[in-house]
Amino acid sequence: MTTETAAGVRRRGRVALIDLVGDVNAAAADNLDHAWAEATADGPDAVVLNFAGTGYINSTGIALIVGLLAKARAGGLPIRAFGLSPHYREIFEITRLADFLAITGDEDSAVGAAPRDADSAMGTTGGTSYG
Amino acid sequence: MADIDDATERSTTNWAKKVDRLTLGSAPAGAVNLNVEGRRLTGPLQGFGTMWQKTYRVRLPRDVVEPRALIATWKERFPEFWPGGNRFYAPLTGIAPGEVALLNLALPGRLTLSTGVMVLYADEESFTLMTPQGHMFAGWITFSAVPAGDDGVMAQVQVLMRASDPIFELGLMLGGHAQEDRFWQETLTRLAAAHGLASASVQTTVICVDRKRQWSKWRNVWHSSAIRSSIYTLGAPVRLIRSRLSRSPGN
Repeated sequence: MTTETAAGVRRRGRVALIDLVGDVNAAAADNLDHAWAEATADGPDAVVLNFAGTGYINSTGIALIVGLLAKARAGGLPIRAFGLSPHYREIFEITRLADFLAITGDEDSAVGAAPRDADSAMGTTGGTSYG
Repeated sequence: MADIDDATERSTTNWAKKVDRLTLGSAPAGAVNLNVEGRRLTGPLQGFGTMWQKTYRVRLPRDVVEPRALIATWKERFPEFWPGGNRFYAPLTGIAPGEVALLNLALPGRLTLSTGVMVLYADEESFTLMTPQGHMFAGWITFSAVPAGDDGVMAQVQVLMRASDPIFELGLMLGGHAQEDRFWQETLTRLAAAHGLASASVQTTVICVDRKRQWSKWRNVWHSSAIRSSIYTLGAPVRLIRSRLSRSPGN
């Protein structure tokens, strides 16, 4: 069974949290983009992804997460995650997302974690020509 | 709760198990296992160059094929749809999570680049290949099929990639990107032709996800499959002489 993704945004101090609910797949792209825009609109110190409510994540969903990591780099914005099941923690290790994303056990740890150095974050620019 | 259990079960089945380094048994006849055994996997975050998302799409009529049937065919006959001069040595068990395939890719100058991929993910609607250290790019290639409108099926190849090292980055800038575009466009053209569409139009969309280069990854060049394949090719005469000497009478 497939469930549509919802991505709600809330704030704790200077940290923005994106609560992901449902499956993370190609259909989640627009909701994730809107949530990211809302979360980063006022220049937070960090963004935290909450996976506690997610169901199924497929490879396209993982690619969307890479896109968020990339967007974070432009401003050296730290990005962290919590709520991943042991299985999806393993997926994040296989795909080597875990190399670039601090994964914590709970929300307080994710919100309270010291900002990481900008070098380990990712970023985005637009363009369609190679070079 | 049942949905979560279902999601976990599906996920466990569809994703590859964690591996620290790739292992492959014996290489198929004609394939060279030069740059796969013992290598780590590399995602788009581990590469050197600019990060690109390239999407190639072709539309097929749904009265010819449904999305799931298309993916089943694509998995089963994957090597057939590759452009000429390139070889995909499919795993004996087919495209399944965790399986490793060897690749021989044609490069300019009659050089054959020996590398490979691991099947990272596979379900009934899509499958994803992930590259190992030394591949020309670090990233994933996702093959999928989805309904398009009332009567169509969109077959798609999406590549999320960074050049692995500075040499490959230069190569991609000097024509490698265009060559790669042609590669996947021809793959989709062949896929469409196999379903009766003789002159398919492939739509290509390229997005720069991250223009920055990760200079800390320049050392990836140590694993370069191009350099190692070139050395292997140049050493062919020496291996031939050694082989003949070892077979000559008295040895």
